[in-house]
Amino acid sequence: MQYNKRFSMEQKKAVWGWIFVAPSLLFFLVFSFYPIFNAIYMSFFKKNLLSLKPPEFVGWGNYVYLFHSKTFWQSVSNTAVFTIGTFIPLVVFSLMLAVFIVSRPRFQKFFQMALYSPAALSSVVAALIWLLIFDPRGLANQTLNTLMRTSGVNYHWLSSSSMLRLSTIIVYFWKYVGYFTVVFVAGIGGIPDYLHEAALIDGADSWKDFWHITFPLLKPTTLLVSVMVMIQCLKTFSTQYLFSTSGAPTRPIDVITLSIYNTAIKDHNIGRASAMSVLLFLVMLILTWLQLRIAKTEDVTYN
Amino acid sequence: MSDIKARVSFLGKSANILIWLLLIGACAFVVTPLLFMFSASFMPAIDIMKLPYPWVSDHIHRQNYWNGLRGPDGSFVFLRNTLNSLIVALAVTITTVLLSSLSGYGLAKFRFKGRNAVFMLIMATMMIPFETIMIPLYMVSMKMGLQDSYAGLIVPFLTNAFGVFLMRQFLLTFPDEVLDAARIDGASEPRIFTHIVLPNSGPAIATLAILTFRSQWDNLLWPLLVVQSDEMKTIPLYITKFMAETHSDEGIMMAVAAMASLPMFILFFTMSKYFISTEGLHSTIKG
Repeated sequence: MQYNKRFSMEQKKAVWGWIFVAPSLLFFLVFSFYPIFNAIYMSFFKKNLLSLKPPEFVGWGNYVYLFHSKTFWQSVSNTAVFTIGTFIPLVVFSLMLAVFIVSRPRFQKFFQMALYSPAALSSVVAALIWLLIFDPRGLANQTLNTLMRTSGVNYHWLSSSSMLRLSTIIVYFWKYVGYFTVVFVAGIGGIPDYLHEAALIDGADSWKDFWHITFPLLKPTTLLVSVMVMIQCLKTFSTQYLFSTSGAPTRPIDVITLSIYNTAIKDHNIGRASAMSVLLFLVMLILTWLQLRIAKTEDVTYN
Repeated sequence: MSDIKARVSFLGKSANILIWLLLIGACAFVVTPLLFMFSASFMPAIDIMKLPYPWVSDHIHRQNYWNGLRGPDGSFVFLRNTLNSLIVALAVTITTVLLSSLSGYGLAKFRFKGRNAVFMLIMATMMIPFETIMIPLYMVSMKMGLQDSYAGLIVPFLTNAFGVFLMRQFLLTFPDEVLDAARIDGASEPRIFTHIVLPNSGPAIATLAILTFRSQWDNLLWPLLVVQSDEMKTIPLYITKFMAETHSDEGIMMAVAAMASLPMFILFFTMSKYFISTEGLHSTIKG
């Protein structure tokens, strides 16, 4: 009772609020904010992973090196090719599939489950399966030979650099197309029925209904998904890592995360790897900010 | 979903058929590699490389699974690595659910100075993807001697901003009357959290738990950095190493792949509700 007199109910609650929030806050300070500031700091130093020498200040040296490095630009362009090559088909196909699935309500559940199932696999397993499919004697060559009416042609899925890039894109597309289809189905489900009913009464056919009702109302969802996919693609690592460790040439699929990993772990060059991390962070920062802004406007109701 | 979206009829018969073909084609494209995995996992390696691919072999080669479990050196380290993956994924899931709901509850239901600042700060960490901080985290974990330990695998993932966000959004709609009634009855704040808030957050917790478990089960990059010994490897690492070593026997490779996917498939088919329907827009913001 003494306690109650000195502290009001509100003040007591404020203290509890802080107590509840504190553990997470502490965690984020130590494991998110400290490391990113540390990465920025280290990007101005020359530091070898294994040597005990203290880091040597080099100013913008690491950045200057990167801007003149062919390998770095190669990995930037690899990442860009992968991101653009993946996200456009991914968004277009998942939107299309979602619209089609919703138009088949009796089979909706089945199609959703079937398309989603690869997303339940880990990306390592996915890469492993596709490695066998892309084998010169594998299913990919067999299928393409049947489709193109050729026989016994090897399409070099894992050896020619453009095919190798395409292969990583296919793996990623395969794994996530169902996932984003489900996201779009949820978006379509959020459009109230009466809007479609009204369109139907006004004599719209399904084509018009899609272009005038579904698509405009899905625009925020589409934007959000696009940015989400872009962010994910920029971070791609597993497929490229596994393909390159199992014998495929690294250079055409040396994406930025793989490059950071190799610079730090194989070349022991912490400063340069940090500079690359910071540049990746800046790109992500812009995209995430965009995503959060879209997510905010996404909260519209359809009244 | 109601019929109206289906009734908005399609452009006649030919378009209808085209749509069916596309849907079935997409399903075939997506499911074939999975069927290939299961089919090849029961085949001797020579059959897998036959042209054209036979799909069903004359002799079912069950020993692929046994050989996969034993491993190339007969050490059964695959089982140990599976256990590691389970321990890490479960530990991370439990701490993420606890810490996220704790702070989500604090942010949603308590008013205190600096609350908005704290919320913004936590949301800002969403802009710091793991890939950009892995090098500093790696250096820190080396300094702290967390290399090659469960702690090293678990600690960087104790909670995440998306989890806090999800739980906060969910708990904003939690009725205040219930909480106040419990307070009047003399329940302490921690007790209210454990006995009222947690038991009534089922759906949000299930969604968060599944997403967290899956992303840990799939995690390759961080274990690649912190793990050195074979005993501490997780499944993705085991597969990576296995691929490099026994690149010859494709049948065993696929059997290992199938065994490694089993837990996620069980989870997927029993909890598909939480994978498919609740995984709406906001739950995927995490990316």
